[in-house]
Amino acid sequence: MIGPDGREIYRVVWPRGARTVQATDVAPRLSTLEGKTIGQLWDDLFRGDEIFPMLEEELASRFPGVRFVRYDTFGSTHGRDEQRVLAELPAKLKALGVDAVISGMAC
Amino acid sequence: MPTASLVCEGFRGQAATTASGLGLPGLPTALVPGHVDVQSPEELRRNVASVTADEVIRNLTEAPARASGAVVEPAAGAVVFEGSFDEVNRFFYENDWSDGLPIVPPTAERVAEFLRFTDRPGEASLGVLLPDQRRATVWNVAVNGVMAGCRPEYMPILVALAEAMADPRYGVEHSGNTPGAETLIILNGPLIKELGFNYEQGAMRDGVQANTTIGRFWRLYLRNVAGFLHHRTDKATFGNTWRVVLAENEETLRRIGWTSVAEDEGVPGGSAVTISRYTGGGVIASVLGTTAEQMLPYLADSVVRKIGWELMFTVGMGVGSQRPLLLLSPILAETLARGGLDKAALKRRLFELARMPAWQFERYIGDWTNLVPGRPSLASLVKAGQIPAVFAESQDPARLVPVVCRAEDFMIAVSGDPLRTNAYAFAHNGILGYPTTKPVRLPAEWPRLLRAARGR
Repeated sequence: MIGPDGREIYRVVWPRGARTVQATDVAPRLSTLEGKTIGQLWDDLFRGDEIFPMLEEELASRFPGVRFVRYDTFGSTHGRDEQRVLAELPAKLKALGVDAVISGMAC
Repeated sequence: MPTASLVCEGFRGQAATTASGLGLPGLPTALVPGHVDVQSPEELRRNVASVTADEVIRNLTEAPARASGAVVEPAAGAVVFEGSFDEVNRFFYENDWSDGLPIVPPTAERVAEFLRFTDRPGEASLGVLLPDQRRATVWNVAVNGVMAGCRPEYMPILVALAEAMADPRYGVEHSGNTPGAETLIILNGPLIKELGFNYEQGAMRDGVQANTTIGRFWRLYLRNVAGFLHHRTDKATFGNTWRVVLAENEETLRRIGWTSVAEDEGVPGGSAVTISRYTGGGVIASVLGTTAEQMLPYLADSVVRKIGWELMFTVGMGVGSQRPLLLLSPILAETLARGGLDKAALKRRLFELARMPAWQFERYIGDWTNLVPGRPSLASLVKAGQIPAVFAESQDPARLVPVVCRAEDFMIAVSGDPLRTNAYAFAHNGILGYPTTKPVRLPAEWPRLLRAARGR
């Protein structure tokens, strides 16, 4: 198509693909961490093995009744076993009575 | 279930973009200040106690802002803009749909020309690509192919590449990792000649339309359909520009009785693409020798010198997924073959020769990086049954250990100037871009279509 100034006009299409997921709200939050069980998920990277114990200590000092399920219970969330570990996660979290999850490390 | 995601300071943007792609735009994150690797234990503890812990508590107990309403996006095929060449290019660049070079305006008519070179309908799904979770289709492959400057007859290769990108084995979701590895596409089969790919001198240099534009297509597709963008999902610390397609010299392969990369990866017959991500590489110049045994030590030494932190893919995360690529010029391949080596035998010799002292290996995975948790010794990993016994055949720290778990983990390709005695070694990115091969499916009327295309 030629425009009024003699230049060719292009009618161009969208280069992207349709999103396959709908945006949803995250799960309701807890009223307190007191008496709750928190699962830890780690991708085996960036000092999570130091950071999770530090967090445990800090959270336990503020919520003495909080309980933790250590990251090694679940396996690494990144790496060769990633797909299996993630697939097994819902059942494991339920069986262990986990109320909330702390996941790391993005770095 | 309530979650708190621990995110270092430089990754909050990526976390937000990735969360949106996963359909959870309100996903809360807890800040870990700075980068943990340069913090003393005391600094790290102070940051965790004073910043991260508070954010974790808020993440788990306070409702985040509700997700805003769904963004309405154009339908496939919808005209999104009308304008001159320059105006279209500016519009695409401003919308992050272009790599900064001029694009060919993707009009419906040009896209239709590409669709003639596949028997599959435009709406056919080729998979879903992370991190944006967008659907790869024959249509959007064609659109990005037009933009990249491809010719319509390249379409069967572009479709195969999108299928490879969507294969979970490849791991496209890792394409924005910080080392900034780049994909190499290797092409095998009759299409090399039919479509005029360069497989001789300057095989990895831009300047030949088929090699160059298909390489550009790859990164445009990563941008527009997978969703990798600077400062958001693409966290390459440095990065580099896309690689042109590497076509193997199959005349040489046939002459010396070697298999192609596609055949090695289990896709014999016809044409095929193999994709794999490499962290880097370098030329091995002027390989001297008249026999294989004279040449092998230099080649093996060069392969070892290209690999450092990537050893985490040999024995750590994704154990056994380090797949170094050795690219040989035809004259080197011919000399090695004359010495009685087929590809399998060459890989075995590399496995024997491409070694480093155990103390040095352990320095890469334990002292200089923290990419393998617990900083284990090779002996402890062998004892735990996690890696082959070859890594601990003695207790001597100076013992030589391989850089891959198995001889067949090496990949060998033949291309480049037929009469130069140069090679090229690539270090591999392990499971974060694992070698994945897909056959190229041609339309039923390929010979007629190709004849017509050549006349244009």
